[in-house]
Amino acid sequence: MENFHIKADTFIPEIEFNAGSGVLNISGESYHEYTLEFYQPAFDWLNRFIQVPNQTIQLNFRMAYFNTSTSRRFLEIFDLLETYEKEQGGSVEVNWYYKANDVDMRDSGEEYSEDTDLKVNLIAI
Amino acid sequence: MEHKFSELQFYKELYINHIHLSFQGMVSQDMLTLIGLSLRRRPNSEVVAKRLFGLVVELAQNIYHYSAIRSFSKKDDREVGVGILTVGESEHEYVVCSGNMIAAANGPGISQRCELINALDEEGRKRFYKEQRRQPQREHSTGANVGLIDIVRKSGNPIGYQLELVDEQYSFLTFVVKISKNLPVVE
Repeated sequence: MENFHIKADTFIPEIEFNAGSGVLNISGESYHEYTLEFYQPAFDWLNRFIQVPNQTIQLNFRMAYFNTSTSRRFLEIFDLLETYEKEQGGSVEVNWYYKANDVDMRDSGEEYSEDTDLKVNLIAI
Repeated sequence: MEHKFSELQFYKELYINHIHLSFQGMVSQDMLTLIGLSLRRRPNSEVVAKRLFGLVVELAQNIYHYSAIRSFSKKDDREVGVGILTVGESEHEYVVCSGNMIAAANGPGISQRCELINALDEEGRKRFYKEQRRQPQREHSTGANVGLIDIVRKSGNPIGYQLELVDEQYSFLTFVVKISKNLPVVE
Protein backbone atom coordinates (compact mmCIF):
# COMPACT_ATOMS: atom_id res chain seq x y z
CA MET A 1 0.00 0.00 0.00
CA GLU A 2 1.24 3.52 -0.77
CA ASN A 3 2.11 6.06 1.92
CA PHE A 4 0.04 9.17 2.48
CA HIS A 5 1.48 12.64 2.65
CA ILE A 6 0.09 16.15 2.84
CA LYS A 7 2.49 19.06 3.10
CA ALA A 8 1.86 21.61 5.83
CA ASP A 9 0.58 25.05 4.98
CA THR A 10 -0.29 27.92 7.29
CA PHE A 11 -3.69 26.51 8.23
CA ILE A 12 -3.24 22.83 7.47
CA PRO A 13 -1.03 20.34 9.27
CA GLU A 14 1.56 18.04 7.82
CA ILE A 15 0.16 14.53 7.60
CA GLU A 16 2.46 11.58 7.03
CA PHE A 17 1.03 8.09 7.17
CA ASN A 18 3.50 5.29 6.59
CA ALA A 19 1.85 2.07 5.46
CA GLY A 20 4.98 -0.01 5.99
CA SER A 21 5.85 1.02 9.54
CA GLY A 22 2.33 1.91 10.74
CA VAL A 23 3.61 5.27 11.98
CA LEU A 24 1.04 8.03 11.52
CA ASN A 25 2.20 11.61 12.07
CA ILE A 26 0.05 14.71 12.26
CA SER A 27 1.86 17.93 13.09
CA GLY A 28 1.61 21.70 12.92
CA GLU A 29 -1.52 23.82 12.84
CA SER A 30 -5.02 22.97 11.70
CA TYR A 31 -7.76 25.54 11.31
CA HIS A 32 -9.12 24.82 7.88
CA GLU A 33 -12.70 26.06 7.51
CA TYR A 34 -13.83 22.79 5.99
CA THR A 35 -12.17 20.11 8.03
CA LEU A 36 -14.58 17.45 6.78
CA GLU A 37 -13.33 17.97 3.24
CA PHE A 38 -9.72 18.49 4.19
CA TYR A 39 -9.42 15.33 6.29
CA GLN A 40 -11.50 13.12 3.98
CA PRO A 41 -8.50 11.79 1.97
CA ALA A 42 -6.74 10.96 5.25
CA PHE A 43 -9.79 9.03 6.44
CA ASP A 44 -10.05 7.25 3.10
CA TRP A 45 -6.44 6.13 3.45
CA LEU A 46 -6.92 5.06 7.08
CA ASN A 47 -10.02 3.07 6.22
CA ARG A 48 -8.11 1.15 3.57
CA PHE A 49 -5.10 0.71 5.85
CA ILE A 50 -7.13 -0.91 8.62
CA GLN A 51 -8.56 -3.49 6.25
CA VAL A 52 -5.51 -5.55 7.20
CA PRO A 53 -6.01 -6.85 10.76
CA ASN A 54 -3.45 -7.20 13.57
CA GLN A 55 -1.19 -4.31 12.61
CA THR A 56 0.77 -2.20 15.06
CA ILE A 57 0.08 1.51 14.77
CA GLN A 58 1.83 4.45 16.34
CA LEU A 59 -0.12 7.68 16.03
CA ASN A 60 1.89 10.83 16.79
CA PHE A 61 0.31 14.24 17.28
CA ARG A 62 2.67 17.19 17.34
CA MET A 63 0.18 20.02 17.14
CA ALA A 64 0.83 23.69 17.82
CA TYR A 65 -2.78 24.79 17.34
CA PHE A 66 -6.06 23.35 16.10
CA ASN A 67 -9.61 24.69 15.97
CA THR A 68 -12.75 23.05 17.36
CA SER A 69 -13.73 21.72 13.96
CA THR A 70 -10.41 19.87 13.74
CA SER A 71 -10.87 18.57 17.26
CA ARG A 72 -13.91 16.61 16.03
CA ARG A 73 -11.85 15.06 13.25
CA PHE A 74 -9.13 14.00 15.72
CA LEU A 75 -11.77 12.38 17.91
CA GLU A 76 -12.98 10.47 14.86
CA ILE A 77 -9.44 9.20 14.26
CA PHE A 78 -9.26 8.02 17.89
CA ASP A 79 -12.63 6.29 17.48
CA LEU A 80 -11.65 4.62 14.24
CA LEU A 81 -8.42 3.22 15.68
CA GLU A 82 -10.10 2.23 18.93
CA THR A 83 -12.54 0.11 16.93
CA TYR A 84 -9.62 -1.32 14.96
CA GLU A 85 -7.87 -2.33 18.17
CA LYS A 86 -11.01 -3.87 19.68
CA GLU A 87 -12.35 -5.66 16.64
CA GLN A 88 -9.42 -6.28 14.29
CA GLY A 89 -6.67 -7.22 16.70
CA GLY A 90 -4.74 -4.01 16.08
CA SER A 91 -2.29 -2.62 18.57
CA VAL A 92 -2.43 1.15 18.75
CA GLU A 93 -0.37 3.60 20.74
CA VAL A 94 -0.88 7.36 20.65
CA ASN A 95 1.83 9.87 21.48
CA TRP A 96 0.51 13.34 22.17
CA TYR A 97 3.43 15.77 22.12
CA TYR A 98 3.05 19.28 23.52
CA LYS A 99 5.38 22.16 24.28
CA ALA A 100 6.12 22.02 27.99
CA ASN A 101 4.60 25.46 28.67
CA ASP A 102 1.52 24.87 26.53
CA VAL A 103 -1.05 23.99 29.19
CA ASP A 104 -3.91 24.09 26.67
CA MET A 105 -2.30 21.55 24.37
CA ARG A 106 -1.57 19.30 27.33
CA ASP A 107 -5.21 19.59 28.46
CA SER A 108 -6.43 18.73 24.95
CA GLY A 109 -4.36 15.57 25.00
CA GLU A 110 -5.61 14.72 28.46
CA GLU A 111 -9.21 15.15 27.34
CA TYR A 112 -8.71 12.84 24.39
CA SER A 113 -7.14 10.26 26.66
CA GLU A 114 -10.24 10.44 28.88
CA ASP A 115 -12.47 9.94 25.84
CA THR A 116 -10.71 6.97 24.29
CA ASP A 117 -9.70 3.49 25.38
CA LEU A 118 -6.48 3.74 23.37
CA LYS A 119 -3.23 4.13 25.23
CA VAL A 120 -2.30 7.82 25.06
CA ASN A 121 1.11 9.06 26.19
CA LEU A 122 1.28 12.77 26.98
CA ILE A 123 4.80 13.88 26.21
CA ALA A 124 6.19 17.32 27.04
CA ILE A 125 8.90 18.55 24.70
CA MET B 1 -19.14 63.23 -5.22
CA GLU B 2 -21.22 62.55 -2.20
CA HIS B 3 -19.29 60.49 0.32
CA LYS B 4 -21.17 60.10 3.55
CA PHE B 5 -18.86 57.70 5.33
CA SER B 6 -16.34 59.51 7.47
CA GLU B 7 -12.98 57.81 7.66
CA LEU B 8 -12.04 60.26 10.38
CA GLN B 9 -15.08 59.39 12.45
CA PHE B 10 -14.35 55.70 11.94
CA TYR B 11 -10.73 56.17 12.93
CA LYS B 12 -11.72 58.12 16.03
CA GLU B 13 -14.25 55.49 17.06
CA LEU B 14 -11.63 52.78 16.83
CA TYR B 15 -9.03 54.95 18.52
CA ILE B 16 -11.07 55.94 21.57
CA ASN B 17 -12.22 52.35 22.02
CA HIS B 18 -8.64 51.02 21.83
CA ILE B 19 -9.44 48.79 18.87
CA HIS B 20 -6.21 48.01 17.07
CA LEU B 21 -7.56 45.61 14.51
CA SER B 22 -10.80 45.72 12.60
CA PHE B 23 -11.95 43.77 9.63
CA GLN B 24 -15.11 43.75 7.57
CA GLY B 25 -15.92 41.33 4.78
CA MET B 26 -15.23 37.72 3.95
CA VAL B 27 -12.85 36.27 6.50
CA SER B 28 -10.82 34.01 4.24
CA GLN B 29 -8.24 31.50 5.45
CA ASP B 30 -5.45 33.76 4.30
CA MET B 31 -6.91 36.70 6.18
CA LEU B 32 -7.13 34.59 9.33
CA THR B 33 -3.52 33.59 8.95
CA LEU B 34 -2.46 37.23 8.62
CA ILE B 35 -4.55 38.27 11.60
CA GLY B 36 -2.99 35.38 13.49
CA LEU B 37 0.52 36.50 12.69
CA SER B 38 -0.13 40.01 13.89
CA LEU B 39 -1.91 38.87 17.07
CA ARG B 40 0.72 36.38 18.05
CA ARG B 41 3.33 39.10 18.22
CA ARG B 42 1.43 40.96 20.91
CA PRO B 43 0.97 39.14 24.18
CA ASN B 44 3.93 38.33 26.37
CA SER B 45 2.67 34.85 27.00
CA GLU B 46 2.69 32.32 24.21
CA VAL B 47 -0.33 30.60 25.71
CA VAL B 48 -2.34 33.84 25.88
CA ALA B 49 -1.32 34.62 22.29
CA LYS B 50 -2.56 31.27 21.11
CA ARG B 51 -5.81 31.59 23.07
CA LEU B 52 -6.38 35.04 21.62
CA PHE B 53 -5.81 33.69 18.14
CA GLY B 54 -8.11 30.74 18.90
CA LEU B 55 -10.90 33.13 19.92
CA VAL B 56 -10.52 35.02 16.65
CA VAL B 57 -10.56 31.77 14.66
CA GLU B 58 -13.73 30.47 16.31
CA LEU B 59 -15.54 33.81 15.99
CA ALA B 60 -14.40 34.23 12.38
CA GLN B 61 -15.50 30.71 11.45
CA ASN B 62 -18.79 31.39 13.14
CA ILE B 63 -19.29 34.33 10.77
CA TYR B 64 -17.99 32.34 7.83
CA HIS B 65 -20.45 29.50 8.33
CA TYR B 66 -23.47 31.16 9.90
CA SER B 67 -23.77 34.77 8.77
CA ALA B 68 -27.05 35.35 6.94
CA ILE B 69 -25.33 37.74 4.53
CA ARG B 70 -23.18 35.74 2.17
CA SER B 71 -20.86 36.52 -0.66
CA PHE B 72 -19.29 34.32 -3.29
CA SER B 73 -15.65 33.50 -2.65
CA LYS B 74 -13.80 32.60 -5.82
CA LYS B 75 -11.00 30.99 -3.88
CA ASP B 76 -13.27 28.78 -1.79
CA ASP B 77 -15.62 28.26 -4.73
CA ARG B 78 -18.71 28.79 -2.61
CA GLU B 79 -20.70 31.38 -0.75
CA VAL B 80 -19.22 32.40 2.58
CA GLY B 81 -20.53 34.55 5.40
CA VAL B 82 -19.68 38.20 5.75
CA GLY B 83 -19.29 40.12 8.99
CA ILE B 84 -17.00 42.23 11.11
CA LEU B 85 -14.29 41.32 13.57
CA THR B 86 -12.46 43.60 15.96
CA VAL B 87 -9.70 43.11 18.47
CA GLY B 88 -9.19 45.76 21.10
CA GLU B 89 -7.70 46.04 24.53
CA SER B 90 -8.00 47.60 27.92
CA GLU B 91 -5.28 47.73 30.52
CA HIS B 92 -5.65 44.11 31.61
CA GLU B 93 -7.67 42.44 28.88
CA TYR B 94 -7.98 41.83 25.19
CA VAL B 95 -11.49 42.22 23.80
CA VAL B 96 -12.48 40.29 20.69
CA CYS B 97 -15.81 41.04 19.02
CA SER B 98 -17.66 39.71 16.05
CA GLY B 99 -20.76 41.07 14.35
CA ASN B 100 -22.94 39.62 11.63
CA MET B 101 -26.49 39.38 10.43
CA ILE B 102 -28.50 36.31 11.34
CA ALA B 103 -32.04 35.27 10.49
CA ALA B 104 -34.13 36.99 13.17
CA ALA B 105 -35.84 33.69 13.92
CA ASN B 106 -32.54 32.16 15.08
CA GLY B 107 -31.96 34.83 17.73
CA PRO B 108 -33.71 33.18 20.68
CA GLY B 109 -31.87 29.89 20.10
CA ILE B 110 -28.51 31.64 20.16
CA SER B 111 -29.21 33.61 23.31
CA GLN B 112 -30.46 30.46 25.06
CA ARG B 113 -27.27 28.65 24.12
CA CYS B 114 -25.08 31.48 25.40
CA GLU B 115 -27.01 31.64 28.68
CA LEU B 116 -26.71 27.89 29.09
CA ILE B 117 -22.95 27.89 28.52
CA ASN B 118 -22.38 30.96 30.68
CA ALA B 119 -24.23 29.35 33.57
CA LEU B 120 -21.93 26.32 33.65
CA ASP B 121 -18.89 26.07 35.91
CA GLU B 122 -15.52 24.89 34.62
CA GLU B 123 -16.26 21.19 35.07
CA GLY B 124 -19.70 21.61 33.51
CA ARG B 125 -18.23 23.35 30.48
CA LYS B 126 -15.68 20.62 30.03
CA ARG B 127 -18.39 17.96 30.21
CA PHE B 128 -20.64 19.87 27.83
CA TYR B 129 -17.75 20.41 25.39
CA LYS B 130 -16.95 16.71 25.29
CA GLU B 131 -20.60 15.79 24.98
CA GLN B 132 -21.15 18.20 22.08
CA ARG B 133 -17.98 17.09 20.34
CA ARG B 134 -19.39 13.57 20.32
CA GLN B 135 -22.55 14.74 18.55
CA PRO B 136 -22.65 14.28 14.79
CA GLN B 137 -21.74 17.44 12.95
CA ARG B 138 -24.59 19.61 11.84
CA GLU B 139 -23.16 21.31 8.79
CA HIS B 140 -26.00 23.72 8.20
CA SER B 141 -27.03 24.36 11.74
CA THR B 142 -26.94 27.86 13.18
CA GLY B 143 -25.50 26.56 16.43
CA ALA B 144 -21.74 26.46 16.69
CA ASN B 145 -22.01 24.65 19.99
CA VAL B 146 -18.47 23.46 20.32
CA GLY B 147 -17.08 26.77 19.10
CA LEU B 148 -18.99 28.80 21.67
CA ILE B 149 -18.07 26.50 24.54
CA ASP B 150 -14.45 26.57 23.47
CA ILE B 151 -14.56 30.37 23.43
CA VAL B 152 -15.81 30.47 27.01
CA ARG B 153 -13.34 27.81 28.15
CA LYS B 154 -10.34 29.48 26.49
CA SER B 155 -11.19 33.02 27.53
CA GLY B 156 -12.10 32.09 31.09
CA ASN B 157 -14.99 34.55 30.84
CA PRO B 158 -18.66 34.38 29.94
CA ILE B 159 -19.44 35.19 26.34
CA GLY B 160 -21.21 38.52 25.91
CA TYR B 161 -23.81 38.77 23.19
CA GLN B 162 -26.25 41.29 21.84
CA LEU B 163 -29.08 40.83 19.38
CA GLU B 164 -30.49 43.86 17.62
CA LEU B 165 -33.51 43.49 15.41
CA VAL B 166 -32.72 45.12 12.05
CA ASP B 167 -35.96 44.38 10.25
CA GLU B 168 -38.50 41.56 10.28
CA GLN B 169 -36.03 39.26 8.56
CA TYR B 170 -32.65 39.95 10.17
CA SER B 171 -31.06 40.56 13.53
CA PHE B 172 -27.52 41.77 14.07
CA LEU B 173 -25.62 39.45 16.37
CA THR B 174 -22.64 40.75 18.34
CA PHE B 175 -20.37 38.53 20.40
CA VAL B 176 -17.97 40.09 22.91
CA VAL B 177 -15.22 38.00 24.45
CA LYS B 178 -12.69 39.21 26.99
CA ILE B 179 -9.48 37.48 27.86
CA SER B 180 -6.97 38.44 30.50
CA LYS B 181 -3.57 39.53 29.19
CA ASN B 182 -1.92 37.61 31.96
CA LEU B 183 -2.17 33.91 32.40
CA PRO B 184 -3.85 32.96 35.68
CA VAL B 185 -1.58 31.12 38.07
CA VAL B 186 -0.67 27.81 36.47
CA GLU B 187 -2.16 24.75 38.15
